[in-house]
Amino acid sequence: MRLSGALLVPVLRTLPWRALGAAGAVGLLIVSMARLSDAADEPLALNLLRAGVLAFTLGLAFVLDDPARHTTTPVPTRRPARHALRVALVAPVTAAWWTAAVLLVPDGIRPPVGDVTLEAGAAFTLALAASAAAVRFSQAAEPGQAVAGAVLTTAVLGLLLWPERWALFVATQDPKWAQAHDRWGMVLVGAVVVWGACGPEPLRRRVVLKPTRV
Amino acid sequence: MSAVMEAAPTATRKQSQNSWAAVIALALFEARRLLITIPVLLGFLVYAAWIVWRAQDYADGYPALQDADRATQGGPLLVGLAVLLAVNQAVLRSLRRDTERHFTVLVMSRAHRTAAHLLSVVPAALLTAVCVAGQFGWQALKPGALGHGSLGELLVGPLTVLAFGAAGVLIARVIRTPFTAPLVVVFFLFLFLLSTGAGIDEGWTRWLTPVIGVSSSNTLPSDLIGRPAAWHALYLAALGLTVALLAMLAGGGHRARSVYAGFAGALALTVLGAVAQGQGVSSEVTAARERATLHPEHVQTCVERDGSRYCAFPEWRGRTAEWARTVAEVRSLAGGTAHDQSLLVRQRLDARYGLDGDAALDPATTPHQVTVGTTWGGNRVPEFSAAVAGVLVTGDEKTTGELCDGRMVTIMWLALAGQSDPIGSLKNVRLDDSVSGSAIVLSQTNPLSMTAGQTTVVRKLLEQPRDGVAAKVRTNWTELTSPKVTTARVAELLGVKAKVGADKCN
Repeated sequence: MRLSGALLVPVLRTLPWRALGAAGAVGLLIVSMARLSDAADEPLALNLLRAGVLAFTLGLAFVLDDPARHTTTPVPTRRPARHALRVALVAPVTAAWWTAAVLLVPDGIRPPVGDVTLEAGAAFTLALAASAAAVRFSQAAEPGQAVAGAVLTTAVLGLLLWPERWALFVATQDPKWAQAHDRWGMVLVGAVVVWGACGPEPLRRRVVLKPTRV
Repeated sequence: MSAVMEAAPTATRKQSQNSWAAVIALALFEARRLLITIPVLLGFLVYAAWIVWRAQDYADGYPALQDADRATQGGPLLVGLAVLLAVNQAVLRSLRRDTERHFTVLVMSRAHRTAAHLLSVVPAALLTAVCVAGQFGWQALKPGALGHGSLGELLVGPLTVLAFGAAGVLIARVIRTPFTAPLVVVFFLFLFLLSTGAGIDEGWTRWLTPVIGVSSSNTLPSDLIGRPAAWHALYLAALGLTVALLAMLAGGGHRARSVYAGFAGALALTVLGAVAQGQGVSSEVTAARERATLHPEHVQTCVERDGSRYCAFPEWRGRTAEWARTVAEVRSLAGGTAHDQSLLVRQRLDARYGLDGDAALDPATTPHQVTVGTTWGGNRVPEFSAAVAGVLVTGDEKTTGELCDGRMVTIMWLALAGQSDPIGSLKNVRLDDSVSGSAIVLSQTNPLSMTAGQTTVVRKLLEQPRDGVAAKVRTNWTELTSPKVTTARVAELLGVKAKVGADKCN
C-alpha cells in the first residue's frame, strides 16, 4: 500500500495526458455542435455524444502505455495494482469530461443520461480491456497506437455491420432501447472480465526471436 | 587529372538517380505493407462486400449510368479513412521504433522518405479505381442499362483515397504523436454524419467536401444533371496534390524550390476548381431543363410500335420496346375499341429542380396519352401498366386520376393480370403494401385510390384463371367501362361474390 502511495506521483506524471487532453478536446468539440447547431434534435445529439465518446475512448487506449514495462516486471507492486492505479487516476478526469459532455447537450434534446452513461462506460472499459489484452499478449511497451486503431476500426465496422438482431446502436425512440442497454451492460461486464483476466503478469515471458511487426 | 574532372559529374548524377530509385523501392515496400495493414484490409473487404451487396438489385436491374456513376462515391470514403490511419502509422513507425536516428545517416533524406510514403498511397488509390470500375462496369453491362456515365464522378472515389492518404502523411509530419490520426478520423466521421444528417451547408461550400450527395431520387437525362463533375474532380485532385506537397514541405522538402513552385501551382488549381465548381447551374442547363419539362416534344424522338407512338428522350430510345411489351399485354386483355386503340406513350419528367428536389407530375389531359417516367423495372412496371389501363378505360390520364366508381376494378385487373405475380404486384403498387382495405395506388402522375370493396373484387379476380376473366371482361366491356358503373355491378358482371360497399372517395 505504501509502495502504491510512493508510485502515485510518478504515475501521475507519466500518464499520457496529452493524448487524453487532445481526445477530450476533440470529443467536447464534437458534442458542442449539439448546442451550437440550430437544427440539432435528439437523434443528432445522441449520435454526437456517441462520436464524442469514441474520441475520448481513443485517448483512453493510451492509458496503459508504459515505456518502462520491461524494467518494472520484477518489482513487488504487481501489474494489476499498477494498472489499477493508472485507471484510478484517470477515472476522475473521465468522469469530469463525461459530465461536461452531457451538460453540453441542451436540456430538451438530451438522451436518457443513465443509459448513455452505460454506453460510454462500456466503450471506455472496452478500450482499457483491449489495451490490457495488448499488454498481456504482446511485448509491446506502448501498444496504444495499435489499440486506438483497433478500437476505431471496431467502432466503424460495428456501426456498419453489427447484426440487427443484437442491435446496440439504437435511437432513443426505438422500442429496442431497453433491450439494447441490457446488451450494453453485457458488453461492460465482458470488458471488465477480459480486463481482469489480462491484468496479471504472465509467469513466463514469451520470447520473440523475430522482430515484432506492427 | 582530366579523368577525375570528368568522373565527378557522372558520380553526382548517378547518386541522384539512385536516390529516386530508392524512393521508388521504398514506396513499393511501404505500399505493400500499407495494403496488408488490418484497417486497410478490413476497409477493402467491407468496401468489396458493399459493392456486391449494392449491385444485387440496384435500380431494379434497369440502371441509368448517369446515376450509377454517383453511386460509386460513398464506399471509397471508408477506404480513404483506413488509408489515412495506416499511412500515418507507417510514417510514425520510425519514431515509434526509435530508428529515426539510423535513417539520418543514410543517403535517403527525410524528404525522400516523405515522398516515398506519399507514393505508397497510389496503389491503394489504383485498387480503389479498379473497384469503382468494377462497380460501374457491372451496372453498365446489364442489358437494361442506358445513359452516359461521367468520368468526373467516377474519379471522385480514387481521388478521395489519394487525398486522405496525403492528409495522413501530412498529419504525421506536422504533429508527431500517435493519437492524432485516429482523432482526425473520428472528426471526419463526425463531419460526414453532420453533413448527411442535418444538411447544413448549401450553396458553393457544399462542393468543398469530397462526396456531394443529392436530395432527390430523380433520374434525369445526363445533359440536364448540371453537376460540375469535372471541376470537382479537378478540385479533389488539386487538393490532394496541395496536401501532398504541404507534407513534402513539412517533411524536409523545404529546401527544394520546385516543391514551393509545385505547392503554389497546386494551390492555385485548388482555388480554381473550388471557384469553378461553385458557379451553380449554368443558364443553358436551366433552359434545357425547362424545355425538357414543359415541351418534351421538342427534344424527344418518337418511334411507332404496333400502331402506338412512343416518344422518349434520346437516351431512353432503347427502352421503348419494354414499354411496348407492357402496352401490348394490357391491350390484349382489353375489349371493345380499347383492344386496338392506338396510344401515345410520352416520357415526361420535371427537371426544373435538377437533383435537389422532387416534383409531382400533372396527369396528361390529351386523350390516349400515357405518361412514362425515367426509371423502369420493379414497381415501375405495374405503375405504368395501371396508367395504360386507366387511359384505355377512361380515355385520358386526368379522368383516371379523378376516378371514383366501379371502373377502378377493370383498370386494376387489366394492369395486373398480365404481370408474372399479380397479387405481389398489387401489394407493391399500393402505398401501404396491403392486399385488403382501401389504399392509395402509386402512379407516375397523380395517385389513384381503391376502396376496400374494389380491393376485394380485384384480389378475387386476380386469383381466378386469367383467360376466364378476360373473356367476361371482353363480353361486358361497354358496361364495365361506362362512367358511374358501381363496384357492386362490376362484381356481379364478372361473377365475383363479395360484400362490396358503396363507392366512396375522399
